[in-house]
Amino acid sequence: MTTRQAGQRFRQRKLSTRQNLQIVRENEIEASNLDDESQRNIPLVKTGVEEGEESEHHLQAVISAAQAGAKASQLYIPTPETNVSLGVQYERLYPHRFQQPATYIRFSSTVEDCIGCPYCMTEADEEFLKKLNSKQRKGPQCTEDEFEQVMNFFEQTSASKQPFASVDNTPLLSFEELAAAFDEDEIEASAQQFAKDIYPYWKTCRTTARHHPLMPTLKFERNVDTDDSDPYVCFRRREVRQVRKTRGRDAQIAEKLRKLRRELEDARNLMHHVKNREFARREQLSLEKKIFEQRASVKEAKRHLGIKGDDEDLINQKPIPRARPPKLDPAIIQRGAMGPGMVPKAPLTIRADGRPPDSDLVQLVDERNRKNADIQNIIQDSMAKHRNWNNDWVDDTWRPITPPMDNESRRGNSFRAAFTESLPTPPPSFSEGEDTNMIDGARTPIPEEEKSALKLPIRYADSAMDAGHGAQGAFRRRTGRSGRMWIDRRGLKRKSPSARDERERERCHYDIESDEEADVYYTDPYDDWNIKYRIAIQASPNRGTHEQQVHAQQRMLEEQQRKLQQVSAMAGANNARAAIPVVTC
Amino acid sequence: MAPRDTGEDKPDTPLAVEKGFATLPEIRVGVKAFVEKDGEKRKAEILSLQTRRGQPRFYVHYEEFNKRLDEWIPAERLDLSREVEWPVPEKADKKKAHGVQATKAPLKDKNPKRSLKQRLEREISGTPEFASANAQRLQQPSTAGGKENRETVTVTTEVVNGTPKPDDEEMDVDDVAAAAAKAKAAPPENYSVEEEREKLRVGGSMTQNQAEISRVRNLDKVQMGKFEIEPWYFSPYPQEFQDVDMMFICDFCLSYFGDVKQFERHRSKCTLLHPPGNEIYRDDYLSFFEIDGRRQRTWCRNLCLLSKLFLDHKTLYYDVDPFLFYCMCTRDASGCHLVGYFSKEKESADGYNVACILTLPQYQRKGFGKLLIAFSYELSKREGKLGSPEKPLSDLGLLGYRAYWQEVIVDMLMEEGRTEANIEELGSIAAMTTNDVLHTLQNLNMVKISVNHPTGSGLGNSLLSSNAREQKNQHVIVLTDAVIAQREKQKEKDKKVGKHVIDPDKLIWKPPVFTASSRTWNW
Repeated sequence: MTTRQAGQRFRQRKLSTRQNLQIVRENEIEASNLDDESQRNIPLVKTGVEEGEESEHHLQAVISAAQAGAKASQLYIPTPETNVSLGVQYERLYPHRFQQPATYIRFSSTVEDCIGCPYCMTEADEEFLKKLNSKQRKGPQCTEDEFEQVMNFFEQTSASKQPFASVDNTPLLSFEELAAAFDEDEIEASAQQFAKDIYPYWKTCRTTARHHPLMPTLKFERNVDTDDSDPYVCFRRREVRQVRKTRGRDAQIAEKLRKLRRELEDARNLMHHVKNREFARREQLSLEKKIFEQRASVKEAKRHLGIKGDDEDLINQKPIPRARPPKLDPAIIQRGAMGPGMVPKAPLTIRADGRPPDSDLVQLVDERNRKNADIQNIIQDSMAKHRNWNNDWVDDTWRPITPPMDNESRRGNSFRAAFTESLPTPPPSFSEGEDTNMIDGARTPIPEEEKSALKLPIRYADSAMDAGHGAQGAFRRRTGRSGRMWIDRRGLKRKSPSARDERERERCHYDIESDEEADVYYTDPYDDWNIKYRIAIQASPNRGTHEQQVHAQQRMLEEQQRKLQQVSAMAGANNARAAIPVVTC
Repeated sequence: MAPRDTGEDKPDTPLAVEKGFATLPEIRVGVKAFVEKDGEKRKAEILSLQTRRGQPRFYVHYEEFNKRLDEWIPAERLDLSREVEWPVPEKADKKKAHGVQATKAPLKDKNPKRSLKQRLEREISGTPEFASANAQRLQQPSTAGGKENRETVTVTTEVVNGTPKPDDEEMDVDDVAAAAAKAKAAPPENYSVEEEREKLRVGGSMTQNQAEISRVRNLDKVQMGKFEIEPWYFSPYPQEFQDVDMMFICDFCLSYFGDVKQFERHRSKCTLLHPPGNEIYRDDYLSFFEIDGRRQRTWCRNLCLLSKLFLDHKTLYYDVDPFLFYCMCTRDASGCHLVGYFSKEKESADGYNVACILTLPQYQRKGFGKLLIAFSYELSKREGKLGSPEKPLSDLGLLGYRAYWQEVIVDMLMEEGRTEANIEELGSIAAMTTNDVLHTLQNLNMVKISVNHPTGSGLGNSLLSSNAREQKNQHVIVLTDAVIAQREKQKEKDKKVGKHVIDPDKLIWKPPVFTASSRTWNW
């Protein structure tokens, strides 16, 4: 737009919108310093007003007045009148019932949610209703609300059953047809009784209106040619972008619809249940109220008659323990189990979504905690027992473990069943009266690895292992002269060595859950090595044997205590596992 | 756009308009006669005739007056002592048209290729009545016969009216070259049906001439809240309301009723106390509610119908789904009463921040319009976008926007210590488009060129210090005396009356985001 004009001394620059421009006040500079012509080199910006209207008289008057710098405020564009209407009972129509909340309003109900029955009666309707009510003076009077409900029902039903009534002039639905569609949700029973009386009136109205709906409606598109230019047709649907039709998409859409349908059904059911619950709750409340009142009257009567005692009836007894399986609706259980009038137990609070309260569910966390606590208890018990057992002993051997040997001889050498017991500590055989168990019990072969370290043969319970050991075996030990020891056995199932070959061991290798004690080795207690070992323990001279045993046991105890800590630590860490150690001696 | 000499009153058109004296029964639609208006005689076009209680009534549109002043007049106000202009016969009519069509019609005649499609369009959508009406008119160029036709012609694709605008004389029918040039110069004026519909689809405003019937206001009076309002324009409320004396509109749900009893019954049932959306702004004077056209379809439709009564260029052709409505309310003990609103496209391709904007007539001339505009820019600031209202603006809209723009820009320029400004920066501060800033400055005659070196003429020293040579014939922004005076006066008035402003801190709002699927599926 830069132009060079004759008589101009310089070439005008284009006005740049990015450039900083000096701001000056008109009264601070001489007018001659400004080139008034400059305006023509600035691109003219449109006003944005429709061209045909730009020239309108009043607008031009205001604009030119503003540009002239005149007091434009006096000038304005005249508009049709607006008055405060005189006949309106504004206060009655718009009662004062708005309370402003402290926070900003959030609202999502639609107009349809807020206007109640969409049919509103006209003056003509009012007249008819008066006549109707005066006719049946004796019977119930039809209220305006009921009248509107009936009319609305007629309108809605005919609109849904005869959507094109106004076009094809189909005869109006008969009353019987309409009555067949009566629905509790649409029309209350109290209103239904007037339907028959109102029907003829509705029919005349509809006929006069030439089958158009009685409440004026907007004109929407009907896919007729004339739609396009009919100014009364409004709010047409917008064309949505066409998507390519493929089988996949079809399936997807069908699936979506099904899902939607399912979810809606679920929501409906949920609402249905909630409704039932609330009804039940209402009933409960009313029953409670009744009980309260009855009690009050009982109390009154008692006082009156001077009866004393039996006051327990007047208060809620402690709730009957819940007997119902927690599968049913908890609300019903609660009431069913406790009977009306009972104060609900505190933990039975119903969750908002209607599911059983948390306390009814067996939670993994709780279960684990309980198990851990059990283990800890057993450990603590055993330790306490230990201390107890050591109490009366004069310690010259430092924590003697072995009970006096002679006890055993006194009891007679009957066979004892070999049994295993789940104990992490030195065997409970030391508990009162079973002092000899330790020696007499079933023996688990000592795992080879641990043999050298003389570790306590603790291993974790494992059904596969237990089964292999024939728990029903029985043993007897006898002591012969010069400390010779006899071990008699009975019912021991001895497996053929071939059955426990490498391959088979491999097979149950992974059956063991524990990773720490993974290597449990089967050894044959009748193996030469084992027998020699056992003999070596006993073979030394009497005193020596004793001392050796004490010494060995002391070491075992130490070892065991260390082990205990390990176990408890492990039990803490791996509490998912049923970690009950089995001690067999 | 080619500059047009607007506002010049050209006495007549070269295409001789048939003139003559008329008697009352001869008056028909399309005739232009002089009508008494506020003590003076104005030329007015008869748009419709009616007989009420035996007396004929005429619906007239005064030339050069906005359509909102169109009215029904009794026969006495017609001045038949002066010549009337007969409607131009149909043949000429094609080349003559009102406003937008002025340039369109001739093009059609000269550019057969181009017009073929349009002609087809017409043949398809035009009604038989239309055709026959045309034919009849052609045969009966002057007197009589118009009235009957008028009554049958309810729908026309093309507006057929005999309103040769004064500037139509520029159109030389035979000058092909001139027309082509014009077409080039004014491309937006060549509407095709598709283009027009596309415009309707994407925007909230329209520029097309609606069918004849909608040129006549269809409602006499509207009662809303405690006010009685005279509608300004046609609005497609149900046709049944055409005959009622007063239409009642519920202040809260904006539902409409033709019967007092009906309305009272409705009021007893309606529980709405504020626009059905989320409040996003609240101060002790006003509240703003944001309403999604898709979620509150009924309410928004009601709102659009209502506002169409006062907005000529609003379109209700398509549904309200793609718009958000920001409703300004005043509060009292009975609820939040709608004062004004603006609609905004959820996603505007053209960067508009307002589609339609309206202060209800009962609240006009109280400063609400400026607050509405300010709020729309506040939203744009929050979005980090520059905004501008959708065009066309109405006359009142233009004045309202100009006043707001002027105030904002002059305020920024008059800030203490500001010696320089650039147009884009001003725009980004106020969330205004560069064009709007430029328009405002230009309109106030504030952009000038300093011819001489401004030493000693009172200009600041800073001007000298920075490359003095450049300063010569440089653009400057001049705060004219008139502008400053006006601003001071306004400030004084604000002090007296108490000025309401939009406080950005009270706006609790995040620009809503709409997912691709909601856009594709209109969900």
